[in-house]
Amino acid sequence: MTLYGENKVNGKKLIGAMLTILCWLPFQLQGEEEREPYDDRYCTTCHGADGRGNFGVQAPRLAGMEPWYLKRQLENFRTGIRGAHLKDIEGMAMRPMAVQLTDEGIADVVEWVGDWNYIPAQVTIEGDSAVGKQLYSQCATCHGDEAQGNEMLGAPALRGQNDWYLVTQLKNFKKGWRGSESLDNYGQQMMPMAQILADEDSINNVVSHINTLGKN
Amino acid sequence: MNKLVTRREFLNLLGSTGGASAALKAGAALGLLPAASIAKPLDLLALGSNNKKVAILGGGLSGLTVAYELSKRGYDCTILEASHRCGGRIFTVRHGDLIDEIGNRQYCEFDEDPHLYFNGGAARIPGFHHNLLSYCKELGVELEVFVGENNNAYFQDDALLDGKPIRVNDYKTNIRGFLGEMLAKSMSEQEMDKPFTEQEAENLLGIIRSFGDLKEGDLYTGSSRSGYKTGGYIAHGVQKDIIAFRDLLQTQLGNQIFTAYEGDHGPSLLQAKGGMDNITAGFLRKIGEQVKYHAMVSAINVSNDGVEIAYDQDGTRHALKVDYCFSCIPTHLITGLEHNFPGDYVKALKYVRRGDAYKAAFQAKERFWEKDGIYGGITKTNNRSTGIWYPSHGMHQNKGILLGAYNFRGGLYHTNMSQQERIEAHIKDGEKVHPNYRNLVEKPVTIAWHRINHMLGCAASWNRSFGTWTQEEKLMFDTLQAPVHGRHYIIGDQITVNVAWMESAIRSAHWALEDLDQRVRTELG
Ligand SMILES: Cc1cc2nc3c(=O)[nH]c(=O)nc-3n(C[C@H](O)[C@H](O)[C@H](O)COP(=O)(O)OP(=O)(O)OC[C@H]3O[C@@H](n4cnc5c(N)ncnc54)[C@H](O)[C@@H]3O)c2cc1C
Repeated sequence: MTLYGENKVNGKKLIGAMLTILCWLPFQLQGEEEREPYDDRYCTTCHGADGRGNFGVQAPRLAGMEPWYLKRQLENFRTGIRGAHLKDIEGMAMRPMAVQLTDEGIADVVEWVGDWNYIPAQVTIEGDSAVGKQLYSQCATCHGDEAQGNEMLGAPALRGQNDWYLVTQLKNFKKGWRGSESLDNYGQQMMPMAQILADEDSINNVVSHINTLGKN
Repeated sequence: MNKLVTRREFLNLLGSTGGASAALKAGAALGLLPAASIAKPLDLLALGSNNKKVAILGGGLSGLTVAYELSKRGYDCTILEASHRCGGRIFTVRHGDLIDEIGNRQYCEFDEDPHLYFNGGAARIPGFHHNLLSYCKELGVELEVFVGENNNAYFQDDALLDGKPIRVNDYKTNIRGFLGEMLAKSMSEQEMDKPFTEQEAENLLGIIRSFGDLKEGDLYTGSSRSGYKTGGYIAHGVQKDIIAFRDLLQTQLGNQIFTAYEGDHGPSLLQAKGGMDNITAGFLRKIGEQVKYHAMVSAINVSNDGVEIAYDQDGTRHALKVDYCFSCIPTHLITGLEHNFPGDYVKALKYVRRGDAYKAAFQAKERFWEKDGIYGGITKTNNRSTGIWYPSHGMHQNKGILLGAYNFRGGLYHTNMSQQERIEAHIKDGEKVHPNYRNLVEKPVTIAWHRINHMLGCAASWNRSFGTWTQEEKLMFDTLQAPVHGRHYIIGDQITVNVAWMESAIRSAHWALEDLDQRVRTELG
């Protein structure tokens, strides 16, 4: 897929017609052709090649994420429903990027992500998946037996996500770093659910069970 | 309240905790002469007709070093650089330049003038960073002195003298006076255990007296070292008042005032004339043709007979097959690529933590610090912005670029703010030193390395506990330093034990080059 086009003019780059994601652009470039144009590859800097997720900067997998969920999260980051808690370092880093996005920009990103190859996530968490299966029965109500997600209930798919990211988010929900924002309807539902997981072991167990449901 | 101790008790305390100092022992072999004070030339085999292809991932200084040295010896090198420029953390900002912070993209609005630049990354070169300096010489990169230590600059701490800024000189002179007096008194009053001959003791007393500028009776009664209150040329100088010892002890930063310019930060320091990125430019004059920009590596597959690399450029995925590959891509970004690295290698990659260095700068409408007799140097403040750096160049020009904040470890505090909040915070901190600061500065830039596109950090940290490395950490370091299948090398300051120096980036490149050279020599017999 062509994401953007560039023409070299006098050694400086001008923006080509394919740059639809340019609608994120917060600055006026008129008369500023000399300046380095906007780079549309921000997503993959943090979220890894083809949006596979990157443990090194704790950025989740985007490839394979449901479009409706991706859209909601980008909107949440934009309004500050997510990424405003001072302890949520990675969320805080995501927010300013989302703030730049128009509705069309969000639609473009969602479409772009939809084009990426999905490569199965690696298992990196150790836990007792049998115990986790028991615990998961509560989660299944919303997220589905196969952790396939349920758009009607607003619950995202969990299978196929990087396991370390699921662990982090469960911890964040538990500590109220995510979901304590009053406008975050779904997060507010998730926060008390996360309390069911008593400790780190429980979290690892439930995530280990989700790992067995792995999306291919 | 804390228990009060008398001066004598304090000295006894020092004596009892310190015991007999090792330094008092005579004849210790101190090995003060440096072993190799000059950069050792690289002895690498020139290939002749044995063409070998090399990919360099990331156009950071270590990558440029590898490309330069290997190209000289007949290797066919390609540099893949994800961003619009080479140099990575060597980053000089001038009029119109892009600061590609994710979520806070800025264009630098400084006036267009060669001396109005800001080194947003590397800014100073110690005189003993021989390998870097020898490249500067070889590549025709002009150098000038960087003024780090300036006793005329200020020291400001809310806890000290009601937050009033004082000259570094005033702080040092008074502290030295009081310390000197204490030492001299203890020498003459206390029976010394005779580690000294009489002459040695006399010499030591001389040093102590001059250290503190002591007067008769070994008393500190003030000094003209930090200048006069009035006079000093036509009229006789009137000595400044002493700052009470107790007052000087209200700040927690006193130790830093005395150690700020030791080790790597010790004078003399240098900078590249016209901006640190002239070092990058020096390399690019030689190998610029070999760089592909906006070429973001997405996959690395290493096998026994080569490395296959995928990169995205112009919206297309390209493949590149090479014999060897050198990567200065930060470890925390390598973990996001597709690769086939062995498990222990991946474990080490994931262990390294990224740092969060942060800098900010202003254009000053006038060089107001020069009116205070400050030419270059650093004002130290006990607040989050940590200080103000005055430019070491462009003296008596109309304007100048000031560093308004520098956080090497702990930069997230400002990073997490909006651009407006960051600027306001630095102005507030600056106003405590220069009262009219707000009106004197303009056109701010902030550089939050934790969010700069394709860097997302500085500097790598290997050890979790301060100062020491565990055995496991040392092993992981060795794992990452060794090339995968003898073909994929990680380079950059990240794979040294002295991170965040350009010299370290070069040293890592040299280590890898020498390792490669051994392999190539063996292979070619
Ligand atoms: C605030 C600050 C102050 C500093 N002060 C000093 C100083 O005073 N003196 C000193 O000597 N040093 C200083 N340093 C350190 C010095 O800048 C670094 O040690 C040195 O420049 C690092 O070089 P490197 O080779 O490791 O590459 P880096 O500079 O880390 O470059 C890495 C390169 O990889 C590229 N890249 C990333 N991902 C990809 C990808 N997927 N594909 C292709 N390319 C990619 C990046 O765009 C970048 O160009 C400072 C650094 C900072 C940030």
